[in-house]
Amino acid sequence: MQWWCAAQSSAWTWSWQAYPGVWLFILAIGLAYWRRSRRWSRAGGADGDPAAASPTAGTGLPPRGRPAWFVAGLLCLWAALDWPIGALGAGYLAGVHMLQFVLIALVSPALLLLGIPPGRPDLGRRTAMALKVGSQPLIALILFNLIIIVTHLPAVVDSLMVSQFGSFAIDVLWLAGGILFWWPVVLDRPARPYFGYPMKIGYLILATIVNAGTFLYLTFSELPVYATYELAPPVYGLSARDDQRIAGILMKVGTVAVLWTAISVLFYRWYRRESVEAQTTAGGGSDDAP
Amino acid sequence: MLGWKTRASWRAGSLATFLVVIGAACGTSVQESTEYRGVLLEPGGRPEFRLADVNGEPYSFRKETEDQLALLFFGYTHCPDICPVHMAGIAAVLRDLPWAVRDRIRVVFVSTDPERDTPERLQEWLGGFDPSFIGLRGEMDEVNRIQAELGLPTTVRTEDPADGGAAYEVGHAAQVLVFGADGVRLAYPFGTRQADWKRDLPLLVSRLPPVDGEGEAGARRPAPNPNRGCSPKPA
Repeated sequence: MQWWCAAQSSAWTWSWQAYPGVWLFILAIGLAYWRRSRRWSRAGGADGDPAAASPTAGTGLPPRGRPAWFVAGLLCLWAALDWPIGALGAGYLAGVHMLQFVLIALVSPALLLLGIPPGRPDLGRRTAMALKVGSQPLIALILFNLIIIVTHLPAVVDSLMVSQFGSFAIDVLWLAGGILFWWPVVLDRPARPYFGYPMKIGYLILATIVNAGTFLYLTFSELPVYATYELAPPVYGLSARDDQRIAGILMKVGTVAVLWTAISVLFYRWYRRESVEAQTTAGGGSDDAP
Repeated sequence: MLGWKTRASWRAGSLATFLVVIGAACGTSVQESTEYRGVLLEPGGRPEFRLADVNGEPYSFRKETEDQLALLFFGYTHCPDICPVHMAGIAAVLRDLPWAVRDRIRVVFVSTDPERDTPERLQEWLGGFDPSFIGLRGEMDEVNRIQAELGLPTTVRTEDPADGGAAYEVGHAAQVLVFGADGVRLAYPFGTRQADWKRDLPLLVSRLPPVDGEGEAGARRPAPNPNRGCSPKPA
C-alpha cells in the first residue's frame, strides 16, 4: 500500500487506489482547525486586542461563513493530493502535476486562510514570530518564488517524485509557500498599515510576473526536462513534449486566473470602501450645511 | 606532541591522498565514459535474419540496413510502458533532426507478440509514432533465436489466470540495439532520454560511410518503407 502518491513504473489505470497518508494529513489539518476555532471562540476572539475584536477582523469576512471557506480549501487540497489527481500528477503527467501546484500552492492556501476565525490565534511564541517574519510581504514573495523555482528544477523533481517522502515534501513545501504568500493579502494580522489595497494589488501583479521564468522554461524547452514524466508509461498517447507544454501553459493560465481573481476582489473591496468613505464624508458635510 | 616535520609530512600525505582520490575519480569517469550515451557493446557484425514486414514481404535486416544506422528493438504493441516510451522518444528526436541525418536511420521493431500484433495492428501502432518505422513479424521460435543470438533474454509470456489468459503481458528486453559503422554496437537501455538520442544519433550517422551521390544534387533517396509502400518525404 502506498501512503502518499509517488511516481510508479506501472501503467496508469483508472482503478481506484487508497492513499491513507493523504487522508491523515487532511484529517490532521481539519482537527487542528476545529480545536483552534473552539479555543478562539471560547476566548471571545478578541484576547484584549480591540482590532481583533471586530467581527470582520483578520480576513475582513463575517465570522459565520469562515468555516465554509476553510472546508472549501481543505476539499481543494484533498482533491489535489488524493487519487486520481495526486497519482496522475506524481508520476504520469507533468500537466496534472502543474494542476496540483495551482491547487495546492495557490487556490487551497487562500481558501484556508479565508477560513481563519477572527481573534488572535494562540500559536505559541516561536510560531508567531516565524509567521510574523515570514509573512512580511517582501519576504513572503521571495520565499514563495524560491519554492516555486526549486520545486520545479528537473533534478529536484526527478529525485523527489520517485519516493513517497519526496513527493510529500514537495506538496508540503507548496502548501507552506502558498500560505506564506497569501498571508499578507488575506489576513491583516500582524497589522501592516502600509500594506493597503494598492500595495496588495501590486504584490499580486508582481507575483504573476515573477513565475514567468518557469513558464517559459517549460513551454519552450526543445526537449522534455523531467525524466519522471518523459519515461512514465504514457497516458492516452499524450507525448512527453505536449504534456510539458500543457504543464507550462497551465502554470501560467492557472496562476494568472487565480491571482487576477484575487486582484479583482481586492479592487472591488477597495472601490467599495472608498465609496462608503466618500458617502460618509458627503453625508457629514450636508448635516453641517445651514 | 607532533613535530613540525611530522605535521608537514602528515599534511603532505593528506594532500597526496586527496589528490589521488580526486585523480582516481576523474580517471575512472574518463575510462568509463564513452563518447556515446549508450552502452558500448563488443564490436561485431549486424545480425542476419529475415522476417516478414507488414506487407508480408521478407525483410533481410543486414541487407536492408546496410550503410545505414540501424536501431533494432524487440517489443509488442500492447506493451503499456517500455515500448511506447522508447518509440515515442526516438520518433520525437527524429522529427528534430535534419533530413540528411534522418535519412540514414532505420528503426526496426520486431514483434515479440505475433499473435496479437497483426500486420495491420503493427502498421497502425508504429505509424502513430513515425510512418518510417519498420515493423517485422515472425514465428516466436525464430524471434527468440534472433534475440538469443544477440545476447538478449528471450520472450516470456505472463498470463493472468483470473481472466483466462485473454489479456497477457510479454516480458522482453528493454534496450534498443544500435548498429553503426565499422561494427559499432551500442545498447540504449530503458531510461535513455530524448536528449541522449539527440546527441548520439547525429554523431553515429556522421561516422557512417558516405553513400553514392551524398551531398550532391539529387542526393540519395531513402529505401522504400515497407510499412507504407512509399518513401517518407522530407518535412
